[in-house]
Amino acid sequence: MQTKEEVTEQVRAALVELFEIDPDRITPEARLNEDLEIDSIDAVDLLDRLRRQTGRKISAESFRSVRTVGDLVDAVCTLVQA
Amino acid sequence: MGGRETYLWRIVVTGACFVLFGLGGLVLGLLVLPMLLLLPGDAARRRTRTRSLVQRSFRLFVAVMSGLGGIRYSFEGRERLGRPGQLIIANHPTLVDVVFIVAFTPAPACVVKAALFANPFTRRVVTAAGYTSNFPTDLMIEQAVAALRAGDCLVMFPEGTRTRPGQPLQFHRGVASIAVQAAAALTPIYIRVDQPLLHKFQPWYRVPPRPPRLEFVVGEDIDLEPYRRAPPPRASRELNAWLLSHYEAKLGQAAGYNPVR
Repeated sequence: MQTKEEVTEQVRAALVELFEIDPDRITPEARLNEDLEIDSIDAVDLLDRLRRQTGRKISAESFRSVRTVGDLVDAVCTLVQA
Repeated sequence: MGGRETYLWRIVVTGACFVLFGLGGLVLGLLVLPMLLLLPGDAARRRTRTRSLVQRSFRLFVAVMSGLGGIRYSFEGRERLGRPGQLIIANHPTLVDVVFIVAFTPAPACVVKAALFANPFTRRVVTAAGYTSNFPTDLMIEQAVAALRAGDCLVMFPEGTRTRPGQPLQFHRGVASIAVQAAAALTPIYIRVDQPLLHKFQPWYRVPPRPPRLEFVVGEDIDLEPYRRAPPPRASRELNAWLLSHYEAKLGQAAGYNPVR
């Protein structure tokens, strides 16, 4: 079982390593699309990475409502804690 | 034959070809496919048979189009098409590009626009052939990656839709992303057309003044290894930018491909 802090760290690491984003810009309120310039194709790479990291099957559908970094952390938490 | 003498004839041929395409889709979907499904074999065998059927039908369609004088064409390098896990990409100047590419590729899979899954003339065939819908983007990428990893040969148009004449060439990054993730080989086809033909904003009856000529050239495989060392988002951006400049260089604007007005 992972804590929310651990998941947050995983998500941050994924964003930094995949998209080379300045860690300071990764706040819970940051919007993935508008603020971090992650488009729908990047999202596929991101989900792929999180799948491998968490070992969970993450469906694209379960992330349709994700808008911000905080949403993303919550979505991953729901999956790994289920 | 020159342009004037054949102009009206080519309008008739073009119209007839549209009707033939629609009827062909219906006949295949309603009569031939149900018979194919009766043959023994699992889902994968059936899909392959359907793809083969589409390929043969398109080969016949090409023969009809050129035999009746609607179009002249050349197709160079077809022996390099149809390898397992091969991603075939092409620019998209005309409505009939995919017909030619599928006609000369052994049983390929395709990414096709979502509307074809709703169109009564095409939906049975594209469904039975197991083609991938281009919408939504994330599912398209997942399915295309899965198809390539399963050894399918896949045809995609990086422009996503037909070329808009007079506007800069644009490639969608999804194709580059799929290539980096899963293509065993990435093979470009360069399509040149000597005058505007069934392009994005051209009604079917507005046939070119002279009999049009389409040229298909299969290029050398593009080396993907350098891109696979970078993180996927950067890799797909770099590959996409490279592909775009590669196609611009190969096609130029001289071949009537993308005339600036």
